[in-house]
Amino acid sequence: MSAGKLPADRADPLQHARSPNRTFGPQPPGAQFEVVGKRSRKVDAAGKATGEARYTDDLALPGMLHGKTLRSPHPHARIKRIDTAKAEALPGVLGVVTGAEMPVRFGVIPWTQDETALAVDKVRFIGDPVAAVAAVDEETAQAALRLIEVDYELLTPLFDPAEALARKDVVIHEGNKHGNVTKEVLLEFGDPDGALARSDFVVEDDYEFHGTAHAPIETHVALARYGSDGVLTLWSATQIPHYVHRELARVLDLPAPQIRVIQPHLGGAFGGKSDPFSLEFCAAKLAIKTRRPVKFLYTREEEFYAHRGRHPMQMRFKTGMTKDGRLTAVDSKILIDGGAYSSFGLVTTYYSGQLLTGPHDLPNYRFHSTRVFTNKPPCGPKRGHGSVQPRFALEVQLDRLAEKAGLDPIEVRRRNFQGAYTTTVNGQRVTSNGFDQCLAQVEAASGWKARRGKLGRGKGLGCAGSMYISGTNYCVYPNDMPQAGIQIKVDRSGLVTVFSGASDIGQGSNTVVATIVAEELGLRLEDVRVVAADSDLCPVDLGAYSSRITFMVGNAAIHAARKLRKLVQQAVAEEWGVAPERVALAGGFAFDLEERARVVSSAKAFHLAEAKFETLGATGSYNTPNLGGDYRGGTIGASPAYSFTACVAEVDVDLETGEVRVPHVWTSHDCGRALNPVLVEGQIEGSAYMGFGEVFLESHAVNQYGLTTRPNLLDYTIPTALDCPEFHASIVESLDPEGPYGAKEAGEGPLHPTIPAIANAIHDACGIWLTKLPFTPAKVLAALQAKAKADAASGGTRGGASGGASGGALGGDQGGKR
Amino acid sequence: MTAETRILRLHVNGSDVDVAAPSHWTLLEVVRYRLGLTGTKQGCDKGDCGACTLLVDGRARLSCITLAGDAVGHRVTTIEGLVTKDGLDLLQRTFDEAGALQCGFCQPGMIVAARACLDAKPEATRAEVKEALASNLCRCTGYTKIFEAVEQAVRAGRAAHTNGPASLVGDSAALAGGRR
Amino acid sequence: MLRLEPFAFAKPQTTDEALALLARHGAKAKLIAGGTDLLPNLKHGLYEPEVVIALSDLAELRGVAVNGAGELEIGAMTTLEEVERAALVRARAPGLAQAAAAVAGPTQRTMGTLGGNVCLDTRCVWINQSHFWRQSLGFCLKKDGTVCHVVKGGKSCVAAASNDTATLLVALRARLTIRSAAATREVAIADFYKADGAMNLRLAPDELLTRITVPAPAPQGTWSGYAKLRPRASIDFPRLSVGVAWTTQQDGTFADATVVVSAIAATPRVIAGIGELLRGRRPDDLAALLAAGEKARSVVTPLTNIDGDPQWRRAMVPVFVKRSFLAGARGGA
Ligand SMILES: Cc1cc2nc3c(=O)[nH]c(=O)nc-3n(C[C@H](O)[C@H](O)[C@H](O)COP(=O)(O)OP(=O)(O)OC[C@H]3O[C@@H](n4cnc5c(N)ncnc54)[C@H](O)[C@@H]3O)c2cc1C
Ligand code: SF4
Ligand code: FES
Ligand code: FES
Repeated sequence: MSAGKLPADRADPLQHARSPNRTFGPQPPGAQFEVVGKRSRKVDAAGKATGEARYTDDLALPGMLHGKTLRSPHPHARIKRIDTAKAEALPGVLGVVTGAEMPVRFGVIPWTQDETALAVDKVRFIGDPVAAVAAVDEETAQAALRLIEVDYELLTPLFDPAEALARKDVVIHEGNKHGNVTKEVLLEFGDPDGALARSDFVVEDDYEFHGTAHAPIETHVALARYGSDGVLTLWSATQIPHYVHRELARVLDLPAPQIRVIQPHLGGAFGGKSDPFSLEFCAAKLAIKTRRPVKFLYTREEEFYAHRGRHPMQMRFKTGMTKDGRLTAVDSKILIDGGAYSSFGLVTTYYSGQLLTGPHDLPNYRFHSTRVFTNKPPCGPKRGHGSVQPRFALEVQLDRLAEKAGLDPIEVRRRNFQGAYTTTVNGQRVTSNGFDQCLAQVEAASGWKARRGKLGRGKGLGCAGSMYISGTNYCVYPNDMPQAGIQIKVDRSGLVTVFSGASDIGQGSNTVVATIVAEELGLRLEDVRVVAADSDLCPVDLGAYSSRITFMVGNAAIHAARKLRKLVQQAVAEEWGVAPERVALAGGFAFDLEERARVVSSAKAFHLAEAKFETLGATGSYNTPNLGGDYRGGTIGASPAYSFTACVAEVDVDLETGEVRVPHVWTSHDCGRALNPVLVEGQIEGSAYMGFGEVFLESHAVNQYGLTTRPNLLDYTIPTALDCPEFHASIVESLDPEGPYGAKEAGEGPLHPTIPAIANAIHDACGIWLTKLPFTPAKVLAALQAKAKADAASGGTRGGASGGASGGALGGDQGGKR
Repeated sequence: MTAETRILRLHVNGSDVDVAAPSHWTLLEVVRYRLGLTGTKQGCDKGDCGACTLLVDGRARLSCITLAGDAVGHRVTTIEGLVTKDGLDLLQRTFDEAGALQCGFCQPGMIVAARACLDAKPEATRAEVKEALASNLCRCTGYTKIFEAVEQAVRAGRAAHTNGPASLVGDSAALAGGRR
Repeated sequence: MLRLEPFAFAKPQTTDEALALLARHGAKAKLIAGGTDLLPNLKHGLYEPEVVIALSDLAELRGVAVNGAGELEIGAMTTLEEVERAALVRARAPGLAQAAAAVAGPTQRTMGTLGGNVCLDTRCVWINQSHFWRQSLGFCLKKDGTVCHVVKGGKSCVAAASNDTATLLVALRARLTIRSAAATREVAIADFYKADGAMNLRLAPDELLTRITVPAPAPQGTWSGYAKLRPRASIDFPRLSVGVAWTTQQDGTFADATVVVSAIAATPRVIAGIGELLRGRRPDDLAALLAAGEKARSVVTPLTNIDGDPQWRRAMVPVFVKRSFLAGARGGA
């Protein structure tokens, strides 16, 4: 199928864009964009540069107590007895709480709620919270933990997902219907088996993606106050205040109106703060019990136990291609290591398949993904949730097939470009799609054509592409209400305050909201103040996950601001006796488009509107249209718009040690309209950085005892300033018909192709295919040696017969092309 | 053993302060939880991440692995101390302007480390900047815009040097005007 | 946060005062220099001092000088950054400047001292962890426990010497000046270390390291170089540490050479027989350097005490021996 041409059997992709809904198209509200698209500073950056910005641990309340959590030293055990008497008797201890007091199971996904604030009857990994203490200071709380007696009956722990799948005698969650399987999805589209059988080339390999952590520099922290008015206020380093609010009400059995959840400045999240966590419940419960404010600050080690990092996946991928480079089918089987709890695992399991059907046209597809419980810290959503792992496998296979077909890897991706306005084989509606331009950009920027193959020994270039969602149609709890909301208040001073439910986790969502409102109301950015993520003040937003904020909250902001814009234009027009269309709002003024001398300040314009109408304010909201395939799970991964990324990485392999240096990564990302290019570049660079770290340096694992091996920032090595490639970010703006002014996501998509691009570059550099992440130098060296042996065995000819597939590398047909 | 609390006379951000703190407290604990200077952050609490970096006698120091008592007799400067009556430090402005601040959590440490670097080497090259910031982990930015921010400050500093103080803001002039 | 257990704090103003405090408190005291090793270890509960004695005000222990015998004298409290930058060090022991520059990251080096680096506690993936973590495992021989997780059934701890500068100082045959209130002694650095990971220093509880002395360069010059294997280009402790020192004959060939390999076991290991092997060969003879490296590889056995595939780390020994010679050659004599 060529770009832009629609097959008859697929739904009309423009149907929604034409139908009435609350999106506003890519056009500016006035003649041209005044604020949108400018390289403005972030609205909250100055306070971050001076230390004024308050993060949760920067807050202190009079009489505040400090909480600490007792954790399980066993990976799998039944709790026989907990005795907290001695701890309670310790001077300075004001409260102790155990699981029995909060037995209600919680979880963001209503169907898989399997966590409790503290272990009730069982512990399921080393680090599972068991009891919590509030005391006058952290030292006393720590001392009290040592006085809590817990008797455990040890159970067999399961660390290997394959074993967890096979064993029926050891069950990590009793009552789970399918043994240790938390979710299994098998979906088939088209005729993958037939297509593979008919393909000119087929590759079938095993890939492994290891566990990685978010490692935001701020750990989890929560502060709770229970006021004399019976209101529980929780300040928490969370990226989903709304779900925390809901779950607090359920677990604490408090009426939701009596709870207020506030997210202060957040020191990074990347998905790791997307679940409600034990400390939020414990702080709240202990605040209620002691009638004193209680703060919990997780240590770095505890942050590694709370985890929710990237799921390790074992992936068998089979992909076919025609001689002229057309993708025919993909058949994948994925075993997902979920760790001890469900978290977002249901979504992860779907995403591991659903998000692979672009930007390459994939006509036949099957995926079979199974997520199992193991006795390890729970996995969850990490930047590029669920799809980073299979994307690695698919993009490496594309390069393998390109090589077999004798085609340039970028050319292969170009030939398979699915185009804009199409529907994928799994029924996802794709609107704008600038992937072809992304490819062209990285091809040019990296000097691909001129440099590839000419870099010298051990050096190479590799490329990959990907797609990601801009929010998802799937609402985690079923309801018909909007997914995002905005409320605007206008002050007579000319200041506009926007109340946004969205969590600014550093990605700049407050700046995006301010930018949009300033654009619509003709204000300067500094005339807009954003109040965000406070359940008492702001409308509900579902949270900062699935890259939904710019798209959904952005549209809600336009919706709200445009209502006000109309009122202001109308009031000014009436004052001047002209048609409202003649009133332009820009730069802090309202002026007459035809008689430029006629101008009033925005404040004055607001006065006119307030006098004419009423106290000025507006709400706006956004909900996704009905999207997705008509089958169970068809809405998961269905997004109102997809972002696309192409990446080229350059590597320099040290043939003596197996160490790989990455001098450059070029990433081009189609984010629709870049509302603020600085923010978009920051997201692209940060994503590429994170992917780079995952390839070589980072590994979250447990040892033979189930203990997290690297629970600190010395051993869990995230890249330093000296390790990083030069990241070259560029932007493609394929204006989306439904995004706010045409914008789509930028925060997660650009991570995906970094990893396979590096893998493909290593192959280009030295002829080895690495299939098991992370690419430690030991693995690289083993693969190089295996290849050398194979080359020698085949008489020194390159591209000879298969060598041993050691160190997670494929031997075989790769050969060197130079 | 029980905690021994002492009065420490510290010199922080230009003033002497007397603080009562247990002997085993770190400078980070004292600065954050006794002096309320919460700009200095904590990310690992054991010397691995650089979030707690502040200046002691103008040199970068990890306050989470510095005992408060060891700072007695020395000049301590936190991120808050870089703001003077003349406004923000040049680096605080260029970090903002360059878009180096995402979540911002690493930034107080990053900015003071960059300050120490530029005080020692006003003409630091990118390679030297990378070296100087290699104890400070940032999880958001990939460092690219951080390097750009420091380079921007180097250029602005150079302009100030050659043209006199009037152009101190150099290419970050827009900032001075645009600040709210 | 990782709160410390309470202790008293003393900051003596003179070395004698410090020695008197040490004499009084002995094993109940811990010295703190830059604190970059002591504090993390304290936070992990590896020591339980009643008093911590700060050396930071002892200006007399700080500085680099050359004595009458042409030897380099470095005060124990000289920071690693000062060592790395000192013109005297760069001129007389360039490898030491390289090793100092390879320690941790820049901020740790403005804090950490050469004395603290020489006295660095050994490291092991099973010990440099929180109390909770170690307890979950039933602790280990080095602290609080009875078994070793690295060598099953092992009776002594094999935690690894991980101090970058020690490797080079051993190669340079440096001497340490050690004082107590009662006496002053000098010891060859190689004899300062013993093969016990639980406590690898021959240092009595009342003793203080005051000075590190590097012998005068040979008339033809003494060359030294350092190479370090680690995952990141900053911060990380060595996964393999190799220091070399050599002298040359008139024709530029090796006269004598020493190779020291560390981050393997409790002490830096001097590889025997390198002098004989290299004598007469040229320092740019890569085959010779690799042969020296092979010799080193044949006698060292990396363990799982340190993260990173031990087999691969072993395979890297020749490469890093070669690289430390090349680094030394670049550094000049
Ligand atoms: C994140 C991080 C990374 C690191 N990476 C490395 C690395 O790559 N390589 C490396 O070698 N080190 C590394 N270190 C450890 C440390 O920074 C250095 O070894 C430093 O040189 C230690 O010096 P210090 O002055 O800080 O020692 P301190 O911590 O003050 O002391 C270390 C030990 O020596 C004792 N001691 C100190 N001075 C004396 C003295 N004069 N006499 C007797 N005993 C004394 C102390 O009691 C203590 O037991 C790292 C540390 C951190 C936090
Ligand atoms: S080598 Fe053995 S005894 Fe020593 S620290 Fe490691 S595990 Fe403990
Ligand atoms: S908090 Fe001090 S270095 Fe991380
Ligand atoms: S800006 Fe978030 S950690 Fe650096």
